[in-house]
Amino acid sequence: MTFLAAIPSELIHIVIGMVAIMAFVGIHVLVLVYAERKGAGHIQRRPGPFEVGPHGILQPLADAGKLIGKQLFTPTNADPILFWMAPVLAVFPVLLLFVPMPFGPVVTVQEVNLGLLLILAFAGIGVLSTMLAGWASNNKFGLLGAARTVSQSVAYEIPLLLAVLCIAFQKGSLNLSTIVEGQGSWPWQWNIVTQPLAFLIFLVCAFAETNRAPFDLPEAESELTAGFHTEYSGMGFGMFFMAEYANMVVVSGVCTALFLGGWKGPGIDGVWWFMIKVYALLALFIWVRWTYPRVRFDQLLNINWKWLIPLATLNLLGTVFLMKVF
Amino acid sequence: MIDSLFGTIKVQYLVKCDPAKTGLAWSVFLAQSDLLPAVKLLYRANYFLEDLTAIDAKEGYLAVYHFDHIDSPGRVALRVLTSHEAPELPSIASVYQGAEWHERETTDFYGITFTGNPNPVPLLLAPDMTEHPLQKTEAQRAFLWDLFPPAEPLRAAADFTLLTPAAKLAETGEA
Amino acid sequence: MHYEQLGVTEGDFYNRNFEKGAREDTMILNLGPQHPATHGVLRVIVELDGEYVIRAEPVLGYLHRMHEKMGEVKTLSQFIPNTGRIDYGHALGWNWAFVGAVERLAGFEVPERAQYIRVITTEINRITSHLLWWGAFTLDLGAITPIMYAFDDREHLLDILQMPTGSRLTHSSFRIGGVCTDLSEKFIETVRDFIPKMRERLPMYRDLVTDNVILRKRLEGVGVMDADMCRRYGVTGPVARGSGLAYDVRQAEHFPIYEGLDWQVAVRTEGDSMARYLVRMDEMEQSLNIIEQALAALPAGPVLMKNAPKVLWKAPKGESYFAVEGARGKIGVHLVSNGGEFAYKVKLRSPCFSNLSAYAEAARGTILADAVAILGSLDLVIPEIDR
Repeated sequence: MTFLAAIPSELIHIVIGMVAIMAFVGIHVLVLVYAERKGAGHIQRRPGPFEVGPHGILQPLADAGKLIGKQLFTPTNADPILFWMAPVLAVFPVLLLFVPMPFGPVVTVQEVNLGLLLILAFAGIGVLSTMLAGWASNNKFGLLGAARTVSQSVAYEIPLLLAVLCIAFQKGSLNLSTIVEGQGSWPWQWNIVTQPLAFLIFLVCAFAETNRAPFDLPEAESELTAGFHTEYSGMGFGMFFMAEYANMVVVSGVCTALFLGGWKGPGIDGVWWFMIKVYALLALFIWVRWTYPRVRFDQLLNINWKWLIPLATLNLLGTVFLMKVF
Repeated sequence: MIDSLFGTIKVQYLVKCDPAKTGLAWSVFLAQSDLLPAVKLLYRANYFLEDLTAIDAKEGYLAVYHFDHIDSPGRVALRVLTSHEAPELPSIASVYQGAEWHERETTDFYGITFTGNPNPVPLLLAPDMTEHPLQKTEAQRAFLWDLFPPAEPLRAAADFTLLTPAAKLAETGEA
Repeated sequence: MHYEQLGVTEGDFYNRNFEKGAREDTMILNLGPQHPATHGVLRVIVELDGEYVIRAEPVLGYLHRMHEKMGEVKTLSQFIPNTGRIDYGHALGWNWAFVGAVERLAGFEVPERAQYIRVITTEINRITSHLLWWGAFTLDLGAITPIMYAFDDREHLLDILQMPTGSRLTHSSFRIGGVCTDLSEKFIETVRDFIPKMRERLPMYRDLVTDNVILRKRLEGVGVMDADMCRRYGVTGPVARGSGLAYDVRQAEHFPIYEGLDWQVAVRTEGDSMARYLVRMDEMEQSLNIIEQALAALPAGPVLMKNAPKVLWKAPKGESYFAVEGARGKIGVHLVSNGGEFAYKVKLRSPCFSNLSAYAEAARGTILADAVAILGSLDLVIPEIDR
């Protein structure tokens, strides 16, 4: 027992938290895969997966089994170390992003004072993994996808940051739990009411940062076959797949905490409100993906540099000005 | 219309056809040297290239160029003969860029060389293929006068005998 | 051919041939032969400067079957099934072009009812072809859902088309001198029911897809072809009509049944991908008009002429050219006969072949995504290009 007592309790807390996060992410990827396939199916006037289990509910498990069972294949002339590092690097930083996520009043792995900063910093590593994947696979489509990822993610991080800063300035904190505490239970007490423009900018950037349609240019199927993950088979592809869905959950979670009042809601506050809001946002992600065509690469950057960044800057300046005046 | 358009060109044989019976409005036989000037005239008159092919006959390969007009439809067929031994024709890809592919295809199928084609590599067949599938054996080949029904030409060069049946030719030769 | 003469060792013949003209600092990318944007086995070699296409060169022949040779070794009526397999999208257009060429050569009169049946089935086939293109094209642009809606309608139409032609894709129901089966009462009823349904669907497509701002931004001003370019390359069909050339074989060559019906040739003048898109959308509406009127005017009578040619029938000597307005452009069949049961020469004029030849010029200087959009807007069916 003395041996255990020597370990700082925070460490045990974090280890348990990380295990819980992994379970959470794993389950939610399965749920999201099912939700996406069903959502896509119903948007496309077909039932979606229907064969494995009642209403195809076991389909994600079958998918996972298939991916795990596939041969892992390294293309000739690829850099094997970097090639296999990329999918790992895609998943693990995303898991860290859940550490400061305020699921509920006490349900947070670790409250971090600079939680928002931590999320933004580790989200940047995701870009690195995509770039590595595209570059190391020695494939021209992969290379083009990697080049697209870099310019897209770098560009869209700026308005994202500016939008987040508005809330941070307004609430005077970078701690997500504190930001949630600062909002009320009723929708009109949420930050979305005071910062609607920042919310919209955040949402658009969220689509771009998670490489979701209509901004899925790094993996644009009709142009680049599969972009940066063209050469990945089996779980190599599966890890990118997982990272994409985990990223979506993170982005929706951050959005919920920042703008939609986090765990607070009419009636009893709690984790359920957080999850409901996160799932509403995820449904939006799915809905948009199966509805819109893909934008072109120059248009994507034009939207960012000509609209989002100036608007976000103006919004931030306005926020600062109002904070000073009142 | 075509006979006035080709006024400056020494056509070998020009006949006005019935579009309802053959689908052609004009059928023109040209010498190789007259092909490019004639095609340029057609381009200036806003004709577009429909297709290009060849017919393997006893006399040689008869290259057939079909043109049509957008506003006043009427198909014009230009025909140029080239020999079996050294099949070679001038390329019209400098006037009609679309002809480049048609010429490459004809090269694939018949082995006719189009001098001046900007990219003379095989189009439809494998690059290392040496056979030309649409070439006929000597026994399969027919005479051109056998393939094209006799018609009253608007213009015909005196020495143009491609469409005169051999028997008739022999007759007049004797006479 | 002469691998060694080129002095390069990597890539295949066409890559090496293409690389001879390439700049030092560019990337050569093979789109295809297996690539989602080519909808078949077309291969386009592009030279990229970043995302910009400097040069593009389509490489053909992956689906080449030498139909023109088959035309010379099969009797004329045996060749009809081949024509249905040249363009799987608009098989009846090719059927019609071939039997039309034979009928013109022999001077046959087709019974009036057969002519009407040809018009009706060809127009239904044209709608199915345009729906197939619409779904695949929006897929090229990254919109995954419209193809499901398009195929929903297309399946209904294929069910309908199956009744008189007996097949769903590679139709070959036209015969020299008529068609093989008469229209059933059930067919006529189903088509009559379907037309108003389809008329409701087209505005929905417009609202959901055509008016989408992303789609418009992706297509407007992209891949502009002017009228002169269309002429230089022999571009026909919706592509030429999108460039302001009001050329439609149905009207230009005075097709007998179409003359008496009330319909318009859809024309747009912008010449960009959006214009080609809109022309095809308008054409579906016009086809519905044609089908509706042709059904109303359907005369009674035989569907195949008396003494229609048998397998070993010998065509008269001579030549004929017959063109049909296919879904992709002008389908032409040039037939030369030396009086035997086999054709002496069959030339198949494929609209996609000419339309694609303009691609290299249209794609030059565009961004890669636009190059894919232009390729889609040409509505290519690869078997028809390669024949």
